[in-house]
Amino acid sequence: MRSFTYTRPAEPAQPWTELGPDAMYIAGGTNLVDLMKCGVAAPGRLVDIGRLPLADIEVDAATDTLRIGALVPNSDLAAHPVVRERLPVLSRALLAGASPQLRNLATLGGNLMQRTRCGYFRDLAMPCNKRVPDSGCAALDGEHRGHAVLGTSSRCIATHPSDLAVALLALEARVSIDGPNGPRAEPIEAFHLPPGETPERETTLTHGELITAVEVPMTTLGAHSYYLKVRERASFAFAMCSAAVALEVREGTVRAARIALGGVATTPWRAYAAEAALIGGPPSTGAFARAGDAATEGAVPGRDNGHKVELIRRVVARALSTLAATDTPATDTPATDTPATGTPKSPGTGEAPRTGEAPGSTEGEHR
Amino acid sequence: MKVTFTVNGRPTEADDVWEGESLLYVLRERVGLPGSKNACEQGECGSCTVYLDGDPVCSCLVAAGQVQDREVGTVEGLAQGDTLDPVQQAFVDAGAVQCGFCTPGLLVQTHDLLNRAHHPSDAEIREALSGNLCRCTGYEKIMDAVRLAAARKADARDAAPTGLEG
Amino acid sequence: MAALTKPKNLQDVAAPGRDGVGASPLRPDGILKVKGDFAYSSDLWHEDMLWGMALRSPHARARILSVDVSAALAQPGVYAVLTHEDIPGSKFYGLEIRDQPVLAIDEVRFHGEPIVIVAADHPETARRAIAKIVVEYDVLPSIGPVEALDPERYGYVHAPADYKAHAFGNIVHSQHIHHGDGDSAEVRALADVIVRGEYEVGMQDQAFLGPESGLAVPAEDGGIDLYIATQWLHVDRQQMCPVLGLPPEKVRLTLAGVGGAFGGREDISMQVHACLLAQHTGKPVKIVYNREESFFGHVHRHPATMVFEHGATRDGRLVFVKAEIVLDGGAYASTSPAVVGNAASLGIGPYVIPHAAVDATAVYTNNPPCGAMRGFGAVQMCFGYETQMDRLAAELGLDPVELRRMNAMEQGSVLPTGQVVDAPAPVAELLRRVKEMPLPEVENWRTADGPDVRELPGGLSNTTHGEGVVRGIGYAVGIKNVGFSEGFDDYSTARVRLEVIGGAPVALVHTAMAEVGQGGITVHAQIVRTELGVDQVTMAPADTRVGSAGSTSASRQTYMTGGAVKQAAEAVRAVVLARGRDRYGWAPAFAAGLRLAGGKALTAAGEVVADLVDLLGDEPVDETTEFRHRPTEAFDKVTGQGFGHVQYTFCAHRAVVDVDVELGLVKVIELAAAQDVGKAINPLAVVGQIHGGSTQGLGLAVMEEIIVRDGKVRNPSFTDYLIPTILDTPPMPVDVLELADAHAPYGLRGAGEAPTLSSTPAIVAAIRAATGLPLNRVPVRPEHLTGT
Repeated sequence: MRSFTYTRPAEPAQPWTELGPDAMYIAGGTNLVDLMKCGVAAPGRLVDIGRLPLADIEVDAATDTLRIGALVPNSDLAAHPVVRERLPVLSRALLAGASPQLRNLATLGGNLMQRTRCGYFRDLAMPCNKRVPDSGCAALDGEHRGHAVLGTSSRCIATHPSDLAVALLALEARVSIDGPNGPRAEPIEAFHLPPGETPERETTLTHGELITAVEVPMTTLGAHSYYLKVRERASFAFAMCSAAVALEVREGTVRAARIALGGVATTPWRAYAAEAALIGGPPSTGAFARAGDAATEGAVPGRDNGHKVELIRRVVARALSTLAATDTPATDTPATDTPATGTPKSPGTGEAPRTGEAPGSTEGEHR
Repeated sequence: MKVTFTVNGRPTEADDVWEGESLLYVLRERVGLPGSKNACEQGECGSCTVYLDGDPVCSCLVAAGQVQDREVGTVEGLAQGDTLDPVQQAFVDAGAVQCGFCTPGLLVQTHDLLNRAHHPSDAEIREALSGNLCRCTGYEKIMDAVRLAAARKADARDAAPTGLEG
Repeated sequence: MAALTKPKNLQDVAAPGRDGVGASPLRPDGILKVKGDFAYSSDLWHEDMLWGMALRSPHARARILSVDVSAALAQPGVYAVLTHEDIPGSKFYGLEIRDQPVLAIDEVRFHGEPIVIVAADHPETARRAIAKIVVEYDVLPSIGPVEALDPERYGYVHAPADYKAHAFGNIVHSQHIHHGDGDSAEVRALADVIVRGEYEVGMQDQAFLGPESGLAVPAEDGGIDLYIATQWLHVDRQQMCPVLGLPPEKVRLTLAGVGGAFGGREDISMQVHACLLAQHTGKPVKIVYNREESFFGHVHRHPATMVFEHGATRDGRLVFVKAEIVLDGGAYASTSPAVVGNAASLGIGPYVIPHAAVDATAVYTNNPPCGAMRGFGAVQMCFGYETQMDRLAAELGLDPVELRRMNAMEQGSVLPTGQVVDAPAPVAELLRRVKEMPLPEVENWRTADGPDVRELPGGLSNTTHGEGVVRGIGYAVGIKNVGFSEGFDDYSTARVRLEVIGGAPVALVHTAMAEVGQGGITVHAQIVRTELGVDQVTMAPADTRVGSAGSTSASRQTYMTGGAVKQAAEAVRAVVLARGRDRYGWAPAFAAGLRLAGGKALTAAGEVVADLVDLLGDEPVDETTEFRHRPTEAFDKVTGQGFGHVQYTFCAHRAVVDVDVELGLVKVIELAAAQDVGKAINPLAVVGQIHGGSTQGLGLAVMEEIIVRDGKVRNPSFTDYLIPTILDTPPMPVDVLELADAHAPYGLRGAGEAPTLSSTPAIVAAIRAATGLPLNRVPVRPEHLTGT
């Protein structure tokens, strides 16, 4: 690990003034510290933004939007009552990731910024265009069973590992950013960049910018949403393939749909063709299967990860059918009056709060 | 750099800390608390679990400077002198300790679980401990230990004269 | 912080409780461990200590053209940079064949082979120094198991003319077994049905949680004191002395706390490196591997390819088995020869089969070195032969458990090596017991409030609410040997001392046994209580001041070091009772009928004849003894016949799984085991061993594999080498039988490994039942189940 200076400024209204060219921000550190230990990240200076006032979760009643501060820990976000009730895909996606200890430390902003788990990216002895531009890609001919089939380029096939970002993508969240050039906001879809010719550029952030918040519209669609993740053990593993889906069904017809994929693409991936295939049709098994097919459009399988294509098909179909079967249909009344009662619960557990919930909470289990 | 923080209720100072050290390293190598373990140092096993401001986290991923002015709780802080915490006693009594390398992390995580959930179901126990790897026990006797600790703590609460939560 | 000259827990530890053999007293080190006060090898600290670290090869096979350490030496804080040229003595070590360089000489043969070692004042300084070392390599194409069999074309992993393997190309060892008439044409003609299968077992890792670590402290007499986590102190020393150029009395090893082993600490890892650096710098040197280095720093389980043919009559009687297994031994021999012997001799399973032809071979490759892992060659074969038994049952239209019971071994059966099983072998009974255990509830995930996803495959990943879920049930049984075999002089030493302290009789037990978590030290205290009738038993730290206890492996320690403790305690008792004869004039026959219990000498009828305190007085009794089991003999080189193993142990499993057949996800609902342990010295600990071994088998079945591509390890981390979490493991009911083996102390049977054999094939059989897929390879992955 390279030596660096560490500073945690007390009241930085503009933390970029503390940064300098060879510096990075650190918040929860669960990804950055790991990358520094293996030498992939080597900043000369760390500016700890952990004390910035960016840890609130607020509902903007006028726009019915949830504003989540970038420093909100994953566990708090997953447990938040408004998130559980009105944006279930978000809560489930968070709880499907990492471990309780990591979720206590990891932040929303950090989760969106996390780097790929590609073994060659993390191995300084191997060529990697993302880590060292123009050095080559060892994964193309190497071990790539877990790598991407969507959004790839000849320079990089590394998978984006986040669950949370996939859910936010399906919810059409907006990322609020601040920096030396002033505040800005953009849809999360624009935030993550596919590798193309420049795999080293992963987000739109320029040096000094940081995520300050993510805003999530709380719509009927969002209240009828679901997250499904296929991984190789029951817990604590990255996705082979995951899907965040949302459906708005009225009078037996799909009015709106969102489908976003994880574990199979170089960025969180919105499956527009699959969504379009559903609109105007019935929420039927056949329709969901066609959506699954459509979600594989554009997939470029490698020698060893072709199984992901079929997996996408099945995961999308399963996520949609499960959502349709367990959810109550949307009505014209606001979503808050119709919590997803059909969603699976654990049998009555009395006062046991879920992992990560603040002490003293007595809310029952919600699955 | 110097790092000042509280460990197990005691103000603690570590000098000459290199910025790249983790909280785990500082605890083990600088402040004489090697109870938290280093099975992977990548946040993948839970053996380094400590309380940080009241929440269990992987201390191997906390950079040393980040602990400044914060409160840390380790396995060494669970017992009161020679009196083991009920969680510790239950692990011993249930045969949940074989090599014991995973034990400190599990104890902190279990301690946290039983503070938040007094009667966790088996499914809830497993979910709470899903970030702690054990290679020796197959987790069966760990489950026994957690159930035993929960039951004993419940008995202690029932016996407490003022009815205050234990 | 005070300077520690030896770790905090390396003092005598009193064993709590009053219970002897057959009870479940708590382990002596339990309180230290739950308080976080137990000093593992990675917790050791010494004033002035340096941190050692190794530079490891990034290539699987390469010639070393040059090594330039000058920049590393010049780095401030660096105290030593050593290559093979700095080794005072022999440059090689090895458990069976001394073929492994302490530090690479002119070539590297596996990804991660150590080349240079560094000692510095901080681990980061050491890391940076290593990064500055410049090695020039001539990279060569790595030799895999297929290439290894054609050395003329692809090359030799080891240059000819070094040691025995060269006579056989790249073959480390092979063993053939010919039983009955083998698989001759006549024999084949006797079979109504022949089932053939090809199977593969991937490379599993022991993944013990405590990293390789230890502290070497140079001594004033020019020797070295090493505090180390290992499985066998004396054999570590035996390999270290020639390298360090020191006699054994100057190399003193003490066991530091061990964080699990499972075979991965049988070979030397950082022991010699730490001592070389300590010798060179004159300062204490500590080495601790991180997890990534650990994956490179120890041997793994041999990956294997197998071909089996089973022939049987229409009514289900086995006629012959032909089995071939090729084990990829990797770059160095480690314990491959013994693994071959095990695989061959145990390779047709716990069945009576009149004819058999078995061939087991281990080859050298440039893949990571493989050696001991719990189960030791028998795991791989069990997956093969148990899958075959299911195939055969299907072919014959017979129930798979009934087919097994029909052919099950029992006491008096003859193994394919010609050895007669001369102790209970309740194979059919074990199968009956797991079969008759009540089955878990079907669709237990259905609740009044909707499906509980936590009980379904995928769990909280929300992959299913019941759709696509199919239940399957599978069975398996396995046979494992206990102890070191094939003529090895397998013994253990124990010292027991009895004296009066504070007016009460106190016993001290001192052995060199490596307690790696299995609970051997608890058992020793129990044995002493039973044999000497003393409550207070203290365990001394394990070190080389007492004779060898042999390895903590091969399921042998309770038998061997337990046996040695028993023998030493018996010797103490004999001395104590002889004092009684002298003092009280007991007739020899009378004395011979006395026992010690509750601090007294008693007749068989329970009449007290003396107080132990009086018999001991001021004179402690101190006895050291070596305990051996019956000798074994090597397997004949041509026929494989011979009394090769001293004891056999059997375990059967039933696995119940739910499979999401559309997404390829498996949830093991229940993994039940039945095992004969002869005598459960400590029932709580025995069940814990069975749970742990079963879980390692579960890991091999569905998730664990070291991925090696062109000789390179691609997943040296817990992110990518997945071991079961608490959400992956099911309830595991265990039925323990106790059918005594008259040849063993207390009739006990070694227990630790048998559960790793049958667990894997039982789970895979259950997955086959749910999916209808052949599944010839473990670990089974989701894409194998979805056919994608």
